[in-house]
Amino acid sequence: MKLGLLIDLDTCVGCHACATACKEWNGASAISGPLSDYDPYGADPSGVWFNRVRHYEVGTYPDSKTINYPMSCLHCADAACVTVCPTGASYKRDDGIVLVDQDKCIGCNLCAWACPYGARELDESTGCMKKCTLCVDRIYDERLPVAERQPACVLACPTHARHFGDYDDPDSAVSRMTAERGGFRLLEELGYAPVNRYLPPRAPPVVLPESDPIVAEPATSASALMRLVQLARGALSR
Amino acid sequence: MYVNVVTAAALGIADGDWTWLESQHGKLRCRIRTMEGVEPNTVWTWNAIGKIPGAWGLRTDAPEATEGFLLNHLIAEHLPGNVGEGTRRMMNSDPITGQAAWFDLRVKLTKCAPGETGAWPRFDPLPAAAVERPAVLRWPQWANPQVARSSAT
Repeated sequence: MKLGLLIDLDTCVGCHACATACKEWNGASAISGPLSDYDPYGADPSGVWFNRVRHYEVGTYPDSKTINYPMSCLHCADAACVTVCPTGASYKRDDGIVLVDQDKCIGCNLCAWACPYGARELDESTGCMKKCTLCVDRIYDERLPVAERQPACVLACPTHARHFGDYDDPDSAVSRMTAERGGFRLLEELGYAPVNRYLPPRAPPVVLPESDPIVAEPATSASALMRLVQLARGALSR
Repeated sequence: MYVNVVTAAALGIADGDWTWLESQHGKLRCRIRTMEGVEPNTVWTWNAIGKIPGAWGLRTDAPEATEGFLLNHLIAEHLPGNVGEGTRRMMNSDPITGQAAWFDLRVKLTKCAPGETGAWPRFDPLPAAAVERPAVLRWPQWANPQVARSSAT
């Protein structure tokens, strides 16, 4: 089993609902909480998060696009964070989930240095390392309705940009979507074999110059109509 | 306040500069962030990021009070015209939803003079600002009843 997330960068709108739902669930969780907040009411609030959403702009106006990029632990198949842990607190389960035993962690930070993705954060108030658990206290909980046995971030996503499943199963939804839409791994060349994948964003929309016939003489021109049809076909084929 | 990169350059305003934003109704002081993905004649911002000091239990030095700003100071409650005794004025909002008229407000953007920093207008702190707040927040101490958990043994 290789449990992991599939994140669709095409539909992610960068709303941070995944990050806050994660913090809400895991911050009060017996296995991963607390996710402490420092100076929460003051001038420079910060805190521990399993999942952070970054935003990047690519291109220049009008051919620009905002990429929203949520990042949490990728649950690498060859997890360097587990290899370097001196106390055995970091471990990888048979189902692929990488966890930290909070009772064994001494907060030495080696795993955070080893992780090329910046997925681990030290909780300064407990002195222990915190990281995504794939909501291991949700996904196997048979008291929850089947549809809710998923990570909190997946359930929270309003655009259904996040999917959870088993990458070892070629028929799972995450495996099929990865195959169909060119899902990719982050920094694959580093060799840690991250399990989580990302679906690429669409190409930015075509913006026609002012001189284009469809802009200069809209509606009545037959050539403009043809151009519209071509544009529509182009959009559908993307 | 998000401003197109080219527009900001034409106005002599750099990313992070303090600016005055004015409408026919009022003005406010805010910081701008330059951005490619915004139409050159449009500026935009998140809704309601400015807070009176002490609101939400925040301390008076919280960025919501020192740097956050509220666009409402630029938006009149009534549409212009029909001013005078006995006339009824039209509410400046969407007639169906009642939502404020965010999207059709003309504004002027100018760079602040040197030394003019911090969000403006400012208000006296709310009484709650004086309440002592924890320096570190840990959920188990502030258990969240909104999180539904199964009663696992």
